[in-house]
Amino acid sequence: MDYGIELRDQEAVVRLRGRLTFNDHAKLRTLIGEMGQNKLRRQVLDLSSLEFVDSAGIGMLLIAREEMDRAGKQFVLRSAAGQVKRVLTVAQIAKIVPIED
Amino acid sequence: MTGRTPQKTAREMLQATGCRTRFAGFLAPGLPADRRDRLAQAMWLPPAAEPAGTAPLAVLLAAGEFAGELGVRAAMDTDALWLPPVAAWIEPPVEPAAGTDASGPAPDLATLLAEAGGSDLYLNLTTATAHDLQLGGRLLTALSARHPLEGERRNDVELALHEAVSNALVHGNLGVDGMKELSVQELERFSRDLADRLADPLLAARRIVIAVRIDPAEDGRRLATVEITDEGNGFTPGPRSSAGASGRGLDLIGDIADGLEIENGGRRIRLRFLL
Repeated sequence: MDYGIELRDQEAVVRLRGRLTFNDHAKLRTLIGEMGQNKLRRQVLDLSSLEFVDSAGIGMLLIAREEMDRAGKQFVLRSAAGQVKRVLTVAQIAKIVPIED
Repeated sequence: MTGRTPQKTAREMLQATGCRTRFAGFLAPGLPADRRDRLAQAMWLPPAAEPAGTAPLAVLLAAGEFAGELGVRAAMDTDALWLPPVAAWIEPPVEPAAGTDASGPAPDLATLLAEAGGSDLYLNLTTATAHDLQLGGRLLTALSARHPLEGERRNDVELALHEAVSNALVHGNLGVDGMKELSVQELERFSRDLADRLADPLLAARRIVIAVRIDPAEDGRRLATVEITDEGNGFTPGPRSSAGASGRGLDLIGDIADGLEIENGGRRIRLRFLL
């Protein structure tokens, strides 16, 4: 998995690319740190270029949400498609994290 | 008596003897010629120049000291090595150094090849090697080359295979606990445990074995049976827990697969998929 962060006026948009699996633990730790450090209150994860996510990937997204919550920030998932959208649905993540189209 | 014709197909005769796949040769990408020739003798099988033809081939993975500078991931990063006629992927057991006793009853290569012959697809790799190879996706490639899988079903089967393989490697062979609390400290603990255990030569040498059989099922469909076996401490399946960061994998597998059995104290999982 790779990612890029774009800081906009109202929100930070993190675009994830590739496959997010248990093996990406180190990258997710770095990403969570970077989301915590930028000044923007609203942190958006753009999933449109993410091809595959596994259960550990979902777990790491939930950790990111919890850490943003602790930092007083809003955490949103956006534009999931294909397999990623399906797993988010099956695991009922929308109950825990806001998901935008 | 049924009206069965006396002419059995070659495949039926092979199945009657428990043999599904009769290997015609093997590929050993990246292996030095002298090591390759010793393995050829051990298996009574000729080396093949490339993955071509229709007769089944086994791939011997060059791992560890034989993997070269780029490692096993680069050596195996060719789609043709995961497509027919390749039907088995085996990491040869390490040869004991001259003058030392082999520690423990390591399986020999001929035994692994015989096991592979009892399956339609077969993998037998160390944890260190399997961890580098995105096996769920590779297995899906091999499976869907035998029986087309499309759209949502393809994604689902890939996820189920990936989750089962990850469980066997991370929680089974490496004995790393899942992430329980939703905190970055727990993520750090997971990272540290995973790195520590992978660096432990005994744990990294534990094997994962995947055997796939594809059989006729009702209505002209086919049933794929995938058995994944690890050498970890096993586990007892508990109730669903979706509060933490971990614990969803087995539920996802159960939702996707048409059959799910856990055996041998949690060291073997058997999945069935109607294709």
